[in-house]
Amino acid sequence: MSNRVGIDVGGTYTDAVLIHDGHILQTAKVPTRSENLVETLMDALDKLNIPNEQALNQITVSTTLVTNAILQNRIPPVQLLLFPGNGMRVDALPWPVSYCELSGDIDFRGREIEPPDLSEWGKLLIPNLRENPAQVAIVGKFSHRNSLHEQQLASYLRGINPSLSIALGHVWGQANFYRRSLTTYLNLGVSNLFQNFTEELQSAVSTRKILAPISILKADGGILPIAKLRPVESIYSGPAASILAALTQNEPTASSIIVDIGGTTTDIGLVLSGVPLLSSKGAQIGPYSTLVRSLAVRSIPVGGDSAIRATDQGFVLENFRLGPAYCLGGNIPTPTDAMRYLGLIDYGNERLAEEALASILPIERRTPEFLQELATAIIDTVAEKISEAVDSLKQEWQEEPAYKVWEVLHPQEAHAFNTLVSGGGARGMTTALEKRLRTPIQLGVYPEVSNALGAAMARPTFDCTLHLDTYMKQYQIEETGEQGVWSGSLRPYLEVEGFLDTLAQQQAAFYTINMENVDKEPFDFFPIVKGYKTVGQIVRGAVHLRSGVIGRIHV
Amino acid sequence: MKRTGILFFPAFDWSLGDSHPEREERLLYTQEQLFEEGILDLPQIKQYSPRIASLHEGLRAQALFPNPGVHTDSLDAHLIAAGSAILLGEARVSGDIANGFVLARPPGHHSGATVWGNRGFCTLNNEAILVNHLRARYGIRKIAIVDTDVHHGDGTQDIFYHDPNVLFISLHQDGRTLYPGSGFVNEKGGPNAWDQTLNIPLPPGTGDEGYHYVLENWVLPRLQAFAPDLIINSAGQDNHFTDPLAAMNLTANGYGRITELLKPDLAVLEGGYSIEGALPYVNLAILLALAGEDYHHVREPKKLDRPVLALATLKPYLEELKKQHQTIKPSFTIQNKPFFPKGNWIYSPHSIYYDTEGFQETRHDYIRECGQCAGTVYIESRRSLSSQKSMLVRIPFQACPACEQAGYELWDHLQHHSEDTTSGLLQNQLHDQLTVWNRKEGLREF
Repeated sequence: MSNRVGIDVGGTYTDAVLIHDGHILQTAKVPTRSENLVETLMDALDKLNIPNEQALNQITVSTTLVTNAILQNRIPPVQLLLFPGNGMRVDALPWPVSYCELSGDIDFRGREIEPPDLSEWGKLLIPNLRENPAQVAIVGKFSHRNSLHEQQLASYLRGINPSLSIALGHVWGQANFYRRSLTTYLNLGVSNLFQNFTEELQSAVSTRKILAPISILKADGGILPIAKLRPVESIYSGPAASILAALTQNEPTASSIIVDIGGTTTDIGLVLSGVPLLSSKGAQIGPYSTLVRSLAVRSIPVGGDSAIRATDQGFVLENFRLGPAYCLGGNIPTPTDAMRYLGLIDYGNERLAEEALASILPIERRTPEFLQELATAIIDTVAEKISEAVDSLKQEWQEEPAYKVWEVLHPQEAHAFNTLVSGGGARGMTTALEKRLRTPIQLGVYPEVSNALGAAMARPTFDCTLHLDTYMKQYQIEETGEQGVWSGSLRPYLEVEGFLDTLAQQQAAFYTINMENVDKEPFDFFPIVKGYKTVGQIVRGAVHLRSGVIGRIHV
Repeated sequence: MKRTGILFFPAFDWSLGDSHPEREERLLYTQEQLFEEGILDLPQIKQYSPRIASLHEGLRAQALFPNPGVHTDSLDAHLIAAGSAILLGEARVSGDIANGFVLARPPGHHSGATVWGNRGFCTLNNEAILVNHLRARYGIRKIAIVDTDVHHGDGTQDIFYHDPNVLFISLHQDGRTLYPGSGFVNEKGGPNAWDQTLNIPLPPGTGDEGYHYVLENWVLPRLQAFAPDLIINSAGQDNHFTDPLAAMNLTANGYGRITELLKPDLAVLEGGYSIEGALPYVNLAILLALAGEDYHHVREPKKLDRPVLALATLKPYLEELKKQHQTIKPSFTIQNKPFFPKGNWIYSPHSIYYDTEGFQETRHDYIRECGQCAGTVYIESRRSLSSQKSMLVRIPFQACPACEQAGYELWDHLQHHSEDTTSGLLQNQLHDQLTVWNRKEGLREF
């Protein structure tokens, strides 16, 4: 049946895995060359020794390309032009980039309150934008209800300088002017970088006569064909991949705490009845608050290689790494040394592990009894930090805001959780975590390539959220920013269901996504009343294809 | 950092009727505005999720007649609004937030000490339930409620009229020109709480300047003299010049300034039915003012185009009103019934109209005059066109032994000797015990 490859580009290593019908056939690990990711990806592909590359059905890549470009501030300058209208002062929120404010106001129904001031455009913009090449992001408050001003300014600027690269905010159609502005900015800022990556990768793949389509893993755990992706949505695919990897090893409807313990960082996620929990806010990347949908993941600076420093009271677990564990040739005691000393793991030098722990204790207490006690205390400390993050994630889920009576009366039911632990530091932590979290614990398979496994098994996600205002005779789609005219009835009922289905099918076809197993949210109907008469309705509804995996892995 | 809490509960699936002002759409545009502004991304803003109040928490402030059971089917939304007020109040008292805004539907300030149904869109009094919860659970002593809804907060006044530890101030459009037709300067409090109720009826047309003048020259000095532990603002938004039900001329900016002047620990949404022209902007201005942000850029699209009452006209009116207020001295009627425990019982009759369903409640209130505490309250209540008669016996917070004893005697008399009474509530605030009695079913603790 299907042959799938998953490749995860990490900071140090790039992992790859080849899967045939739910069985892992090959795994590979190559060093990441961040200056040449395409070659890194091809190295990984080569190392998989795929017998018949032409027979591959799918290649999925999880890459830190965009994440790193943003975090390392390698984005070319983007001119950000805003129509902030009335309301909160723009500078009440922290803006990591500069912007130019223009007049013009649209309200929450998409009505034009104040038109833009053309003389202002001439004065403010022309001197800056005559130069080539330039990237311009235009974002208006309530542009997701009416993109008029964005469109007007874009066509004005194209008239001045046809080579401008222009992005409009309304295509990020969720409410939040601030996040929409920054998301538009980032997506435009990384677009050339991502475009080059796409072209290089596609040509490298096609020179090998590989016909399989390439997909990219997104922050929400879904995949999209590389050409259809909005680049900024590829941030944080690593943590998403580790949650998906856990799903491939779990009962399909189980509720799980996912813990991925790496060298310096532990990622924690929640799966509720088989569906990974989405963050209620968009992703935060560096100083940028975005509208990018992402899985709710806590990343804490604790891992098998976290440095341990001796203190008068005992020890402190630092939130950084100073090289490998002592028992693996490093210079500093780490939780890995504690695991090795207690025999919880079988790699690393046992004598060196003892030496590392002993260095934390005063000379007179360097006895097996105290060493044992110290090693246990170190592991309990790691377990405690992980558990605190689990608790805070659970709390976020349980305290999600509710806006309807029905939601308050039917709160999140309690789930019986199990815990899936993966990553390099997993084996040594199971007992301590089981004790602290009080859930059954399962150890992930193939921990060394788990992110690649998650990428390989990921399936597309898809959301289509409709906001229809029958009085204003207009509708908008959150995910694509599509804005259109409504010609149906003022109080639609079944009509709106068919309407949303059609829109969703068109959108799915564009992304080449199969629309099976979609969740439909019940519609919300808001009668619009004027002078004690109902004159129309606002209708909200959505269909979702939630993140998940195409099947289980057979071990 | 000083944090501002917000509890946004728009009850998107609840209305009092299809085209009723209190409908699903009411806070829809407020949500659009707040979310689009990115207000939840302000670092000092913390969002809370709602919870439902228990009947125990409701009965601490209000008697549900003839008994709580007949209301339970229609109470959910109201209990969530009240529970939301409690939740944010607890966050304030625990120091988690410096102030907060309970932006919840439905409203509550027309709902009084006894409840036979919905009136003025209110069934439960969110602020009163909150206030009594904070007193019962956290030992808060003195609380001030400032009601800036355009309508007189008659329900809140009724609940705290005899309570010397709650200062109730209501500013509203003159009751001769607007529902509910009460809230005159002579309503100054019961015998044990004289001058703890202050009503300031304002002439139609009063605008920002006039309103702020009243706050600065009358309300704030009164608040300062009372020195409350907490200030709660019943933040109705129907003074806005676009409101369809009232005739005042305040702007969104004017509301921001009100918030800045009052510095409430909690603002609780009450009325306000200009759901497009006012609410998104007024709510935003209030929240920004609470969060210490500039609200001057918040401007409603429609311009104020009707004449505003000049301050020069308002000032003499206020002088006259103040003079009247000062000259009114307590004058109470003592009326002791044969079975009343010893002491002087002040008699005060009421008639309350329930506009939502169209019936009348007739009440006979008796308050034990007391120099030591708020005094036990005994209320007989009857719903028009019904043979049912219900009683409320309230033993107040910090009740003195004599008043406590008087409460138990009245409660005992009610159950064993009051032939024509169907049901009753013993609201024992002193021990936080709430007992409902029903002739058919007997006693039940809530």
